[in-house]
Amino acid sequence: MEFAVGLFVLVGIICLGYLSIKLGRMEIVGGKGYEVYALFSNTGGIKTGSSIVLAGVEVGRVKHISLENYQAKIVFSLQPDVKIQEDAIASIKTKGLVGEKYIEITPGGSEKFVPPGGKIRETQPPVDLEELISKILFEKI
Amino acid sequence: MGRNMIWIGLFRLTSCLLFALGIVTNCLAGEPLEQIKQNTDKVLAILAEPALKAPDKVRERRELILKAVDKRFDWEEMARRCLARFWPQRTPEEKKEFVKLFKDLLQRVYMDKVEGYSWNKIHYEGETIDGDYGVVKVKIFTAKEQAIHVEYRLLKKKDHWWVYDFSVEGISLTNNYRTQFNEIIVKSSYQELVKKLKAKSAQH
Repeated sequence: MEFAVGLFVLVGIICLGYLSIKLGRMEIVGGKGYEVYALFSNTGGIKTGSSIVLAGVEVGRVKHISLENYQAKIVFSLQPDVKIQEDAIASIKTKGLVGEKYIEITPGGSEKFVPPGGKIRETQPPVDLEELISKILFEKI
Repeated sequence: MGRNMIWIGLFRLTSCLLFALGIVTNCLAGEPLEQIKQNTDKVLAILAEPALKAPDKVRERRELILKAVDKRFDWEEMARRCLARFWPQRTPEEKKEFVKLFKDLLQRVYMDKVEGYSWNKIHYEGETIDGDYGVVKVKIFTAKEQAIHVEYRLLKKKDHWWVYDFSVEGISLTNNYRTQFNEIIVKSSYQELVKKLKAKSAQH
């Protein structure tokens, strides 16, 4: 009886651990793929674990965000088979009007690719709709 | 006496080195920003020129503005980046034709804006240089004192900084056209895109 309870608790703990790793989008042993980084003037609410998409297909996740020289340095963890051209543009977008933030990569045409640990030079911060609307409004009055 | 000579020699050498260093840093500092500023000042001077304000001088004025802009904008680099992954597939003739059409498109879109805008004040916020790449941030104030953030992205080729992209309020020109061109080519074909650009050009 005691053994069964112990086993039950153990299985419960393992399940909980599995769930927290999955839901928290954590990687236990480094994960596959490679890392690149990009500097943004504003993250607009991007968090660790946010999706990185290319043509609407998820190709990676945000691994780390830090501050570097008053700019946001976002480290991307990308799938190993996805090659990013040197002139690709990474832009921060919102799903719908008020939805989740994600990073979209628009592929470039360069023959050179961003190496592991390299930098995506071209970035576009999120568009502040509120600010834009207010500018248009005030300009018109 | 000999010791004095050594000291004087050392002093001269250090002064020369410091002087040379001063010149070098002066050249390096403010390069892309300075070049953008020169061009903007030139365009503003053309716009402010009373002799060119008459309606029959519109053509002449536009040509002068274009000449000034041509010296700073790398149209081919811009067109290449906008066509992105479809660029390497084009023949040299197609590339040449596309650059011309693209330049026409941008001139049509932006000339009215440049001419019609009330450029009240321009504040050069700063520049960042990373190897051969540079970014210059500018704030343009309208007559109503509203600030518009403009960012130029430049590439250094033989000591000359060329603009290959610029963004207004964070929206990049290259990203915008790259998405549009990609959509048209994927949905139909490159020929269809050229047809559309030519039709736009003929409309004007």
